[in-house]
Amino acid sequence: MTTQTAQTEYALEVRDLYVGYYKDLNILQGVNMKARRGQLTAILGANGVGKSTLLKAIFGFLKPNAGDVFLNGQRINDVPTYQRITLGLAYIPQRMSIFRWMSVEDNILLGGWTFRHDKERLQRKLEENFERFPILREKRRQPAGELSGGQQRMVELARTLMTDPQVLLVDEPTAGLAKLLKREVYDMLTELRDREGKTIILVDQEIRHALRIADYVYILDLGRNKTEGPTAEIVADLKKAFWI
Amino acid sequence: MVATLLHFVPAQMWLITPEFILRLLAEGLLIGLIYSLMALGLTLIFSVLGIVSFSHGEFYMIGGYVVYLFLQKFQNSLPRALTGIGALLAAMLVTFAIGVVFERLFLQPMARGEVDRPNEYAILTTFGLAFFLQYLMLGLMGPFPKKARRFFDLPVFDAGLIQATKASLKIGNITLGAGRLIAGLIALLALLAMLYFMFKTWTGRALQATSQDRQAAAVVGINPMNMNTLAFGLGAMLAGLAGAVLVSVYSWVPWVGVIASSKSFVIIVLGGMGSIPGSLLGGLIIGVVESLGTGLFPDPVRAQAYRDVFGLVIFALVLLVKPTGLFGRKL
Repeated sequence: MTTQTAQTEYALEVRDLYVGYYKDLNILQGVNMKARRGQLTAILGANGVGKSTLLKAIFGFLKPNAGDVFLNGQRINDVPTYQRITLGLAYIPQRMSIFRWMSVEDNILLGGWTFRHDKERLQRKLEENFERFPILREKRRQPAGELSGGQQRMVELARTLMTDPQVLLVDEPTAGLAKLLKREVYDMLTELRDREGKTIILVDQEIRHALRIADYVYILDLGRNKTEGPTAEIVADLKKAFWI
Repeated sequence: MVATLLHFVPAQMWLITPEFILRLLAEGLLIGLIYSLMALGLTLIFSVLGIVSFSHGEFYMIGGYVVYLFLQKFQNSLPRALTGIGALLAAMLVTFAIGVVFERLFLQPMARGEVDRPNEYAILTTFGLAFFLQYLMLGLMGPFPKKARRFFDLPVFDAGLIQATKASLKIGNITLGAGRLIAGLIALLALLAMLYFMFKTWTGRALQATSQDRQAAAVVGINPMNMNTLAFGLGAMLAGLAGAVLVSVYSWVPWVGVIASSKSFVIIVLGGMGSIPGSLLGGLIIGVVESLGTGLFPDPVRAQAYRDVFGLVIFALVLLVKPTGLFGRKL
């Protein structure tokens, strides 16, 4: 019964996670986190507390030294990174991760790698993305590396949405973008949550923006959970909001 | 002054006719296609695995020996053209298989992060494979040069300006030997097939994606480990095919791959590390420059010995002007 509740209520759960870049040096030291389905959960904290490390560990780029990651109630520690997309988990890293020398269209199509033999579905998803981001249709033949920062983020997002993932791990999506573009990116994330019911886990340094769109907030400090709560509570408690 | 200038004028100036230049160009392009094929293999390995394979020349050598042995075994039992096709396929298959097995056994631990110093490890293991293959073939085939007979004949015809015998093609006054011509044409077909594979198929795009951003490739569901294996296997196979088409043109010894390998390094740096168009163009440039340099050098006695120098001069000049190579990506 408990598992059933966990499956329906929380799309993603991290239990007592210890992770590091070296075996005997853990950056995360027993982090716990739950992401409610269809909500945007923000992970905040100062530089170097392990926010990005947490997302890398959830997606499998870092192997936990201890602890578990559950997706829809299923333990995914042993699922290879490249197979996690098939479980409905997607990851947008902090640095731009487009294929710079490939066309915009090829970039987006590669998002459909896992169903590449289904031409009809590929075409449908491609069209959906072009409707979502009309500017990308205009620039479909252009090498993705020639686009502006904001447009490159759109390519990444479009590529990610090809598989229609239910859980999105988004790491500092506005890093290095102009002010105007930042707002656009946050609007895109809000839309994905509100219109398409995606569960989003957002790691961000832009605290004010993140608090504006998040439903629930976790604050990390030196690789450990410091505090957590619904955004309204966190914002209300200025002491918590200005932990830095 | 005049005497100094005259020193640089070829001794047999009267031999340098437009036909002579055209023949040099044609021969340079034919050999350049084979250089490109080899360099493309090295480029593929470098761009996907991020390592320089020092055993590339040995795959070239193995390809040649496989053809030689295949022809020895089947030349009397199969039709000539079929033997040729079979020999090429066998060379491709053997080199691909060796590449795949080697990558799985020795390079995957590096890709999985199980090796402390991956760069040094890659150099040592690929060098190790190179020595192993050289000495293996020295033991099996002996040190004496082998040469395969030509395994394809040209169709005999006479169309006025263009005439062909089994062993040569004559266009106007330019005569090209069948061995080189067929080797060049096979290399061209293989290059076109590789370009189609890389840019028009899903697997080719996945290889490109892995070479451009390994982490992003994994994010979309591509298995980067499989791409490593495929890239190394294909790279080895292309080198093997280059050797396979040249074994009937040159004499073959177990260390024949050393020069071929160093030439490939020059080409991929000239073209720009990791660039497919760069390795294609780089191969053609080196082929043509070597051919023209050797043909037009004032002292024909020394010209052949200086063959590699001409390519290196162009290589140095290009790097002076554009250090990233012709199509190099900014780092």
